[in-house]
Amino acid sequence: MGAHLARRYITETETEPDPAKPFGFDPEFGFGERKEREMVASQAQMNLAQVPVLQRDYCAHHLIKLMKCKRDNWPNFLACKHERHDWDYCEHQDYVMRMKEYERERRLQMRKKRVEEAQAA
Amino acid sequence: MAAVGFRNWARALSRGKQPGFSALFSQIRAASGPSKGMLPGPYPQTPEERAAAAKEYNMRVEDYEPIPDNGEGYGDYPQLPDRSQHERDPWYSWDHPDLRRNWGEPIHWDFDMFIRNRVDTSSSPVAWHTMCKHLFGFVGFMLLMFYLGEKFPSYQPVAPKQYPYSNLHLERGEDPEKQPEEVKHFNI
Repeated sequence: MGAHLARRYITETETEPDPAKPFGFDPEFGFGERKEREMVASQAQMNLAQVPVLQRDYCAHHLIKLMKCKRDNWPNFLACKHERHDWDYCEHQDYVMRMKEYERERRLQMRKKRVEEAQAA
Repeated sequence: MAAVGFRNWARALSRGKQPGFSALFSQIRAASGPSKGMLPGPYPQTPEERAAAAKEYNMRVEDYEPIPDNGEGYGDYPQLPDRSQHERDPWYSWDHPDLRRNWGEPIHWDFDMFIRNRVDTSSSPVAWHTMCKHLFGFVGFMLLMFYLGEKFPSYQPVAPKQYPYSNLHLERGEDPEKQPEEVKHFNI
């Protein structure tokens, strides 16, 4: 926790990735075959469910199921545990994927630096 | 005496004048309104005028100093120190404890400003330069830290969130005719 900040600002200022900038490496590089992320809910379905724009991510189908469950079970606010867990788990996996992407970018940057230094030497 | 007053009142009415309440009964008059000699006199020129003015204001001749004559019309009103009532001894038994003033004491020109609910000329509890140092030191430090926070932001070590449909091109309200650039997201 915070080691990346020390790396970014103090020790490895050239190689630590900046999340504000787009990641430049080829997404297929280093992978044999990569599966594309699948979007389940269509744009029309998200519009009908009135999902907020910032929540229209790759877990929106779980969110729509959760919203329907909540609406059907009101006022029992304890009812939709299963749906909520599904949505939470999907969001968790999405966050873990983000962490892995960051780490991948970092390792590719370090590899690039090593290759450049080997070539210069 | 009342009969005399009644006669005067009848006379005044018959003359058709509209006098004030006090004048209806000429033997009595209200305590409100200034009496003769209540306003300050002219600026004292001679020592005798000074002594008379000092006596009028219930001050010693040595203490009496009129406000300098600059044409603003203070007359012979005394120049008293610009100290508010906060600075007077709170434990002394004043005649008027709230005003911290004794009966007959000369009243400052701005007395209504110097009462304890209003302007306070007493010294600050800590020296002025200390207070300035503390305040500007703190504010300066906070400004510096906020500046550093902008230059070196703190963030979680995660890539930006990925959104479908070309980064929600239509949902963000962008031009529906314009073809957005192809964005591909992968599992990892």
